Amino acid sequence: MFRLTTIRAATAALVLIALAAWSVHGDYLAREITAEIAILAILVLALDLVAGFGGMVSLAHGAIMGVGAYGYALANLAGLPPWPAALVGIVASTATGGVIGAISARLTGVFFLMVTLAFGQMIWALTFRADALGGDNGLGGIARPALPFVDSNDPLVFALYALLMLLACLLLCVAVLRSPFGHRFQAVHDNPARAAALGFAPERIRAQGFAISSMLAGVAGVLAAQHMQFVSPELMVWTASGEVLVVLILGGIGSVTGAMVGAAGYLLLKHWAAGWTDHWHLAVGLLLIAVVLAGGRGLSGLLERRRDA
Amino acid sequence: MLQHAALLLLISSGLSVSFGLMGFVNLAHGALYMLGAYIGIAVAAKAGFWAALLIAPLVVGALGAALYLGLLCRLRGPMPQVLASFGLVFITVELVRILWGDVALTLERPAILAGSRHVLGVDYPAYRLFIILLGLAVAVGLWRTVHRSSLGAMLRAAVENPAMARAIGIRTGSLFLATFALGAALAGLGGVVAAPILSANTGMAISALIPALIVTVIGGMGSVSGTILGALIVAAIEVFGAALWPDASAVLIYAALAAALIWRPQGLLAVKGHG
Repeated sequence: MFRLTTIRAATAALVLIALAAWSVHGDYLAREITAEIAILAILVLALDLVAGFGGMVSLAHGAIMGVGAYGYALANLAGLPPWPAALVGIVASTATGGVIGAISARLTGVFFLMVTLAFGQMIWALTFRADALGGDNGLGGIARPALPFVDSNDPLVFALYALLMLLACLLLCVAVLRSPFGHRFQAVHDNPARAAALGFAPERIRAQGFAISSMLAGVAGVLAAQHMQFVSPELMVWTASGEVLVVLILGGIGSVTGAMVGAAGYLLLKHWAAGWTDHWHLAVGLLLIAVVLAGGRGLSGLLERRRDA
Repeated sequence: MLQHAALLLLISSGLSVSFGLMGFVNLAHGALYMLGAYIGIAVAAKAGFWAALLIAPLVVGALGAALYLGLLCRLRGPMPQVLASFGLVFITVELVRILWGDVALTLERPAILAGSRHVLGVDYPAYRLFIILLGLAVAVGLWRTVHRSSLGAMLRAAVENPAMARAIGIRTGSLFLATFALGAALAGLGGVVAAPILSANTGMAISALIPALIVTVIGGMGSVSGTILGALIVAAIEVFGAALWPDASAVLIYAALAAALIWRPQGLLAVKGHG
């Protein structure tokens, strides 16, 4: 059961404030990395919602995010202004996730993982082959949103806008987990037999949870399209989803704040290590195994345990 | 198509042993296959193709055994296995890049298998014939071991009910170790055999994993004949799909995986009990 403990709220606030301060005082690169962290954190948060609280470990989240990004890009290129186009992207992701969730909800564990892998790869392969979607080359020339008083093409403005979106998604995620639906969703995972005996429909609840998570992934997709102003099938391939899962595990699954800690830590490590080595994935692999051997609670779990002791 | 199916079978047979029989979700299977190819090329440069065909699977099998003893046997439940083996993929790919670089390497097929042979009235490339025969030999050997030997019976008992198997004197620990090492060695064998056709590159770790998973799942886990059937189905979809409906062939294969998982879960019951 999810609890918004003081340490979790404090960690989330600290990460958000630190990133905001870094992008205000930092250079162009700091602002770009902040936007990247915020977008990845939203996607990891979406995965945490289903994987951490519903036991539905998905390898389709990259593809679902990609559907949101392509939905925004296509709507925008067809002449729709950014905000309605964003709605199109988010609805497309939610619908995609809803369908995948409805079909896959009866599978659990590693079989759920593999069926989401199959659906994600189907979406990737379709996009890759579709000439109307730009195929392998992707789509460019995507607009950023119009914001009141400021220009979203300014890297600082976009970084802060992305952080605000992350905050909104974080609050939404907490609200969902604390709602009666969120309690049912977690109950269905913790004890399916008892939840079913109480009259819950486990499969429908799991599918709905997956759709909500896909909505968050859609937000990340729209933001990614706005940030890069370019979309390509690279977003959707299953290894992208695998990377999101790795970030979630490193950050700490099932804690909500782990998503932010993981995304920030992962991208900072990536940009820092990329400066002097080509082989930083070696460290990621070793860290992943270390986290799994340590019990799988990740960086944020480490923080919480230290406080408990 | 037969040649493609036989190659798929060789690549998948190792996974059908570790994943299908033992229920170990080994995402590092593709990485072991890649290691087989690279080690095979290194050995072949010194001692020729036939030595590589023998030594590379042994080395990869030993590596698999070491990994199992040192790390993987401590993991309980499928999710830690998925994650730790995914971590191993990262590590193996980077180590191979450090040791061998990013350039794809090729392996010369041996002289005796270089030309083509006259079979059933058609000329067929000898190396492809060799792959088909080797695939058949592995399938038959595996089938006999799993379904017709006391070793296979002990293994199936150990998977079904480990506590009971131990109680009647089966050493489940060393049995699982041997099984995992066999799966790794088969992955290594697949790597060596594929190297002359596909050339060795670091993308293999990922690109071989998905077809192997699909073959194992479609065929029904824990069943050797299922794996053969799975390899034939996947090869048919890939080969005929690419010829008849190229835009959809990549989608079809994943659709087949999803359909197998959703509509034929009875094929998966073998590992559900202890997953």
